[in-house]
Amino acid sequence: MGKTIVEKIMAKAAGKPEVSPGDYLKFGIKDTYIQVGSDIGALNSREYERLGWDKFFDPKKVMIAPEHCGTWARQQDNVTNRESHRITKEWALSLGVPKENILDLGNVGTCHHLPIEKGWALPGNVYLHADTHCPTAGGVGCLGINLSAAEPAFLRLGWMWFRVPKSIKFNITGKLQDGVMGRDVFEYILGQIGPAGAVYQAMEFTGQVVEDMSLDGRLSMCCLSIFTGAKTGIVNPDQKVFDWFKTRTKVHYEPQYSDPDAVYAKTYTYDGSKIEPQIVVPPYRRTVQPVSSVEGTKITTAFIGSCASGRDEDLRIAARILKGKKIHPDVMFNVTPGSAETMLRTDKEGIISTLLEAGCLICAPSCSMCPGFYTPLAKNEVCIASSTTNVPGRMGEESAQVYLGSPATVAASALEGKIADPRKYL
Amino acid sequence: MALKFKGKVWVFGDNLDVDKEIIPFREREMGLMKDGNFGKWVMTPVDPEFPKKVKKGDIMVVGTNMGCGHGHQHANIGIKQAGISCVIAESFDRNFFKNSINLGLPIIELEGINKNVKAGDILEVDLEAGEIKNVTTKKTLKFTPLPDFLLEIMSAGGIEPYTDKLIAEGKI
Ligand code: SF4
Repeated sequence: MGKTIVEKIMAKAAGKPEVSPGDYLKFGIKDTYIQVGSDIGALNSREYERLGWDKFFDPKKVMIAPEHCGTWARQQDNVTNRESHRITKEWALSLGVPKENILDLGNVGTCHHLPIEKGWALPGNVYLHADTHCPTAGGVGCLGINLSAAEPAFLRLGWMWFRVPKSIKFNITGKLQDGVMGRDVFEYILGQIGPAGAVYQAMEFTGQVVEDMSLDGRLSMCCLSIFTGAKTGIVNPDQKVFDWFKTRTKVHYEPQYSDPDAVYAKTYTYDGSKIEPQIVVPPYRRTVQPVSSVEGTKITTAFIGSCASGRDEDLRIAARILKGKKIHPDVMFNVTPGSAETMLRTDKEGIISTLLEAGCLICAPSCSMCPGFYTPLAKNEVCIASSTTNVPGRMGEESAQVYLGSPATVAASALEGKIADPRKYL
Repeated sequence: MALKFKGKVWVFGDNLDVDKEIIPFREREMGLMKDGNFGKWVMTPVDPEFPKKVKKGDIMVVGTNMGCGHGHQHANIGIKQAGISCVIAESFDRNFFKNSINLGLPIIELEGINKNVKAGDILEVDLEAGEIKNVTTKKTLKFTPLPDFLLEIMSAGGIEPYTDKLIAEGKI
C-alpha cells in the first residue's frame, strides 16, 4: 500500500520502514538545526533556570534568530526585545551554542521565512519550532511541526512525541486568474471545508495550479493550513524547490513524495480558474467570502507582511498595482518585507522604491503588524491585511476590525481606500 | 497525578479559538496577565463570570476543533489553573492536544460526547480505563485511552516534569 509524503517523512525521521495514521512516534531532527527565536529563547532560559537544567541535547544544532519582533521594543513581561535577545544570546553561549549560530538583526525576519532562506528546512526533513506557523516549511516539501510549549523539553531531550496524521488531498486544477494568489486558494478551501475541515490531519496540496505556483505561493498556503484545524500543510517538492536550495545548503537531503497509490482520508478537487479573490470577514477567522461581497467597505489601514506573506511575490504584485499611483490619502499602508533577504532583492528590483513613491510605510523585516507591533491599530480602525489571523485585538485595539485578503487585494484596497478587487488593476 | 476525576460539567461549543474565546489575546498582550494567572481569564470572552463560577475538579465538555487558532499554551495553562480537571471534546486542534499532554492537562477525545452529556451533569472519568460515567444519567461511555507513554507524561504533570524524572533516573 502506498504512503503519503507526510507518512514517509515521519517514518524516515523515526527510523522506521513505514508508519500509518494514528501511530505515535518519538523523534528529533537529524541533519539540520532547531531554530530558537530570541523572544521565546528568553522564556526558555527562564524555564531552564527554574528547572535547574544545564544542557542542550546538541548545542551545535541550536540556531538563535532574532525573529518575531526583533526590531520592536516589546514591553510584555517587562522585557524589551533587545533585552530578550541579550538574555537568549548569553544563555545559548553558556550552554555551548557556537557563536556563529547566533544571528542578529541583519539576518532578521519572521521566523518561518528564515529556515527556508538559510536552508535549515529541507525537502524530506522535519522542521520543528515553537511557533504555530511552522507548517510553512511544507511549501518546500519539508514537514513543519509546531513544538509550542514543548520547546524547552525538546532542547533538553532531543526528541519529542508525534502522532501520524491522516492526509487530505486538495487537487487544484486549471489555471489561476491574474491577481488570484496562493493565499486565495487556501482561504477558498477554508471556506469550502470550514474551520474544522481538516482537524488533526495533513493538507496535501496538488494539481496544476500548485505545480505552476511559485514557492512563495506554496509557502503561504502551507503557513495558513492550521486554520482548518490541520496539523500541517505540504506540497510534494519539485525542481523549483531544488533550484532554490542549490546555493543555500551543502547538506545532503532526501526529498520524499507521495506514492501514486497513497491512502487519503479524503480528496477534494477544485477548479482553480473559478476561484475569486477571497476575504476573511471579522470577527471570526473562519468567515470566508468572495471579495465582491465586501467590495466598497471603507478601510483606514492596510498591511502586507507576516509569515503568511511579505515574500518577494507579495511585494512585487503590490508594486505592480501601485506603480505610478498614490495610495488613498486616508489610508496608512504598512508593507513589511518578511526577511532581510526579501528586502534586499525587492530593493534591487525597484519594488521598494515604487512602494515608497506610492506612499507606503516600509518597516524593517519582522512580524510587524501581525501581532500588533510597529503601527498597532487604533480604536475602531478598519484594516485589510495579508497576515495570518484577525482575532479581536490581534493587531492592536480590540474594537479595530481586521479583514484578511491576499497581498494583491490589500494593495488594490489601499489604493481605493475601500476593499477592492485587484483583478481590475492587473 | 491520579488519572481519575469527578466533577460537574460545563458545556461550550465548537471551534473555540485559544485567543478569541479561551484567553483574550489583547488583554494578554497588554500585560494584564503578567502575574501568570491565566485562570482568571479563562473563557471570559464567552462567559465573563466563568472563572468565578467554576469549582476545582469541574469538567469542560466542548465540541469539535477545541483550541483552534494559534498554538498559544496560555489556553491550556489557564484551563488548568481555573481548576478544570479534564477537558472532553468531540475533537481537538492538534496544537491544543499536544500542549495539553505536554502541560499535564488531562484530555479525552470522544465523538458523540455532546449527545450524552449536558451542563450540570456529574461525570466520573477514568483516563486509563477509558471510561466516562455520567452519574446524573447513569450512562457509561467508553473511549480509547491514550497510549501508556502519553498517560505517563500527562500524569507526571507534563513533558518538563517527565524530563526531570528521566534526568533523576539517569536515563538522559
Ligand atoms: S508573522 Fe504573525 S503569525 Fe507569523 S510568526 Fe510572526 S506573529 Fe506569528
